[in-house]
Amino acid sequence: MAKEAANNLVETSDYIGHHLVNLTFGWCEKTSSWGFAHHQQDLSKSLDSACEVSEMGFWAFHMDTIFMSVFLGVLVFGFFGLINRSAKKGTPGKLQNFVEFVHEFIGSAVSSGYHGTSKIVAPLAFASCLWILSWNLMDLLPVEMANFFGQAGSGINYFKILPTADLNAPLALAAVVMVLVTYFSINTHGLGGFLKELFIVPLGPLEFISFVSKHVALALRLYGNLFAGEMIFILIAIMFGQFFMSFSQTLWFLPGLIMNLAWALFHILIVALQAYIFMMLTIAYLNLASTKH
Amino acid sequence: MNINATFFAELIAFCMFVFITYRYIWPSMASVLEERRKEIDEGLQAASESKRQLEEAKEESSRVIDAAKSEASTLVNQAGSRADQLIDEAKDQATEEAKKIKETAESDIAQSTNKAKETLKEELSVLVVAGASKILNKEIDESANKEIVDQLIKEL
Repeated sequence: MAKEAANNLVETSDYIGHHLVNLTFGWCEKTSSWGFAHHQQDLSKSLDSACEVSEMGFWAFHMDTIFMSVFLGVLVFGFFGLINRSAKKGTPGKLQNFVEFVHEFIGSAVSSGYHGTSKIVAPLAFASCLWILSWNLMDLLPVEMANFFGQAGSGINYFKILPTADLNAPLALAAVVMVLVTYFSINTHGLGGFLKELFIVPLGPLEFISFVSKHVALALRLYGNLFAGEMIFILIAIMFGQFFMSFSQTLWFLPGLIMNLAWALFHILIVALQAYIFMMLTIAYLNLASTKH
Repeated sequence: MNINATFFAELIAFCMFVFITYRYIWPSMASVLEERRKEIDEGLQAASESKRQLEEAKEESSRVIDAAKSEASTLVNQAGSRADQLIDEAKDQATEEAKKIKETAESDIAQSTNKAKETLKEELSVLVVAGASKILNKEIDESANKEIVDQLIKEL
């Protein structure tokens, strides 16, 4: 009995661990070669690296994050581009209506939040909001799905479909925002004024810390929310898993089902809200950077 | 922490998508919406304009109808009075005509009466002469007695 429990525990931590590892393609110091982390894929022996994920240094790419984010980006922006291309001036169709609704929604958020003249803010808000939203929506797909297809013969054993749960992606977005905020600030206050504001007025170097941390927080807020959501989905999935492991745990099935449904419903809110919050904060920071005070 | 070169890939991808949005998606959507807004605005203006025109046309038409009505009523009145006048005139004419005819007839009657009188007088004179000659039973010198007879006739 105790042994079974211990086995379960190992399996459970393995399961969680498995779901938290990205499909990594990187530079392996040991063999001085590029390749996928050890045993992550069965597609090609020559691409299999001797290194584990943890042994790879900075020069590694999370292929699943990159693939999913670019794929979703092409899907979303391709959709908007296509609808735009066929946009009519007259009575709009249903798809065009939707596209225009999104445009109006983001446009009004930008025009009410940003009072400068830059033409890049609205496209930036649009791109970040929709891209993040498309990422976050992946969280609503069943957690097992990617692995299920992986095991069904694609040869890929590790695949995280949620780019937001990889800190690199939100951080890259926040970095772009930070670069733009810096650029806007220098444009408004001049280089001297900006540096003075960063290091001297009113609280000295603390201002610099606050400047950096607010952008890091922008990324971490998004990452944290979605990572936690994903984590809870994984835990609920384990509850389901118990059902298949031993008959005595059958009772977990119903609460698991209810919890999964409840969390998914609640998560729809978070998914949209986090994308919205990221967009609104981006607009607010850029507005702050482009107003004199 | 799991920060690695994925960060740069995402950075590049994000810049690319922002650029695509900036270059191709946002402005064209904005222009379509702007054009639609303009079109709707124009439509609304045209609608209110045509409403105003309709109002004007209604007023105009009621004005025309009123004018036509009043004109018609004056025409009817005029026609009525004209008819009365015509009837009166016709009556007068008829009366006059009748009078004329009556006069002519009277004069005709008088004439024929006179004529008959003349004829009767002449016939009477002949008859008188014949009668007298018969009475006298003798030939009377017509020319000698003619004077007397004519005298008689005149006295008749």
